[in-house]
Amino acid sequence: MEVIQLENVTKIYKLGEVETRALDDVTLNIKEGEFTTLVGPSGSGKTTMLQMMGCLDKPNSGVVKINGQDVIRLNANKRADMRRDMIGFIFQFFALVPVLTAYENVELPLLLKGVEKKERHERTMEMLNAVGLSDRVHHRPDQLSGGQQQRVAIARALAPEPSLVLADEPTANLDTASGKQAMEVMQKLNEKTETAFIFATHDPRIVAYAKRVVKMQDGRLVND
Amino acid sequence: MLSKLLTIAYRDLIRNRRRSVFTLIAVAIGLALIITMNGLIEGALEGAMRNNIRLKTGHAQVRAESYPDGKLSLKWQDLIDNADELSAQVNGMSEVKAAAPVLWATGILYTIDETVGLQVYGIETTSPIYDPIREAMVTGDFITDDDRSGILIGKRLAEQLGVGVEQKVSLSVGTADGPPDEGIFTIRGIFSTGNLFYDEHTIFLPLSKAQAFTHTSGRASSIMIMLHQQDDADKVAATLKSPGLATFTWEDLNQLLLTTIQQGMAFYVIMYAIVIMVVAVVIVNTLLMSVFERVREMGILAALGMKGRQIMTMVLMESVILGLAGVVIGIILGSAYVVYLSKTGIYIGEVSASVDVGYGTVMYARWVLANVLSLSGWTFAIILLGSLYPAWFAARLAPVEALHNL
Ligand SMILES: Nc1ncnc2c1ncn2[C@@H]1O[C@H](COP(=O)(O)OP(=O)(O)OP(=O)(O)O)[C@@H](O)[C@H]1O
Ligand SMILES: [Mg+2]
Repeated sequence: MEVIQLENVTKIYKLGEVETRALDDVTLNIKEGEFTTLVGPSGSGKTTMLQMMGCLDKPNSGVVKINGQDVIRLNANKRADMRRDMIGFIFQFFALVPVLTAYENVELPLLLKGVEKKERHERTMEMLNAVGLSDRVHHRPDQLSGGQQQRVAIARALAPEPSLVLADEPTANLDTASGKQAMEVMQKLNEKTETAFIFATHDPRIVAYAKRVVKMQDGRLVND
Repeated sequence: MLSKLLTIAYRDLIRNRRRSVFTLIAVAIGLALIITMNGLIEGALEGAMRNNIRLKTGHAQVRAESYPDGKLSLKWQDLIDNADELSAQVNGMSEVKAAAPVLWATGILYTIDETVGLQVYGIETTSPIYDPIREAMVTGDFITDDDRSGILIGKRLAEQLGVGVEQKVSLSVGTADGPPDEGIFTIRGIFSTGNLFYDEHTIFLPLSKAQAFTHTSGRASSIMIMLHQQDDADKVAATLKSPGLATFTWEDLNQLLLTTIQQGMAFYVIMYAIVIMVVAVVIVNTLLMSVFERVREMGILAALGMKGRQIMTMVLMESVILGLAGVVIGIILGSAYVVYLSKTGIYIGEVSASVDVGYGTVMYARWVLANVLSLSGWTFAIILLGSLYPAWFAARLAPVEALHNL
């Protein structure tokens, strides 16, 4: 079953006279549970691709489908629902809500989804356990290390059981050990669930974890 | 979910403690300021009205129908013939505390080197209507009905003329048949009501002497009436209305003051609006700063699937917390100050001498619940309204920022 389908997706950025084809007629399918890395030189369009998949931006042409549903024509609220229900994000900068504790950060998407209290609590604790942070539940982000923050972000992305997790260079700001730990956590979670993971990265160590490697160059897929 | 938004809003305010406290103080001080302004105005107007009723107009009056409006007349046809009889009848009414005939005339007081124009009151000296003057006596005695040459004058007038008790002055008073008559009178007592204009321009003499002096022969300008309940004025006035007689309530008699009040109110509404606007601008500014600082956070929330409406709610909650806390503190501060000023008053001194409305030398504030509530309500409402802008701004910004995070 296809989680996400890009069909002939083109994204053009215009800056004054200069036109950049960040994505150039890209067609790509990702299946349930796939662990994919997106590699390519800087400026090749990896981030742009994730933005299209994550319902954060719309392409100039082509079709984006999530679980079979065309998401381009949806309005802002419906796209927000799509992100909430289908997609987990892991950012390069450990993007936690600074005034919320680790527990509250992980709980937040469950609250947004309307999961009831008991289940929410169980799920939150389960995820914090899975990323090895059950002893840091009530710490605020500024009381956690970078690696720990990133693991909270992973727990938060996975908590609502999304179909798809999009991660843009999740280890770029981590030291080798923390990066390895984060990758192992994600690999384990990927094995346990049906969730598909897509990483954009330059890091060859991440590529080593991937089952599928998609190579990009100048907005095109060059190797799959 | 709503409670989590509230938590985020609240913790964000705590995180920026200094800014939040500053904003809150601005709201509190702004509101306290307009509550104080309002308390002073209410107090001044109510005090002026009360003084006017006590000293000048009474709660109601009966006059001859032809008595001219806003002028004094001593023409017989403009006066009440059967003043004593009518006064006794009015005194018999259950709503009436006291009623007495009064005769008004214009007079000029001479000493060796001064001349002053005055309003002369011929009064029934035993009537409780003049209790306020009796209580305001500073030297000498109150006049009696059978006194044929005694007068009472105000302290300010006495000082101006350099005269004292038992001294003689020459008084010239207009008469019914035209040319003024002049006589020598003895100052029996001096009063000080605190209303400088009144104390400078008013003299009292016994009614019978005044009638004789002005050739009005037992007639009166008006029957002054004080009631147990001010609200009964309309009823009493309606009952007393009869052919040839006109009746007036304290509202009719203080038209000038009432219109001054209404015109003044429009001005103060503008003042309140300006203060409230300033307060709203402070809050809006704080929220905008808070939103700008947290663009990344807004982006994360949008990426997590938070809708524009929820992000707006979160920002508005900050404004509600700041606004409510500020308004509550403002009510407490403002009310405390107004209550304090209602006890101690503010000395305005000579200002009151220049205006012919009943301001005393001390102005007391007055705390009016309805006004405090409506000023607070408006402040809060305008704050919320202003906050819609930063909230809307945050909601628009969030999805764009979500892009920059990736
Ligand atoms: N908002 C934008 N406005 C204009 N051009 C943009 C914008 N975002 C990206 N681009 C351009 O689109 C192209 C693809 O950018 P993208 O960020 O997708 O590359 P990337 O593969 O993620 O690179 P990196 O590995 O350095 O993160 C680049 O040439 C970039 O300059
Ligand atoms: Mg990138």
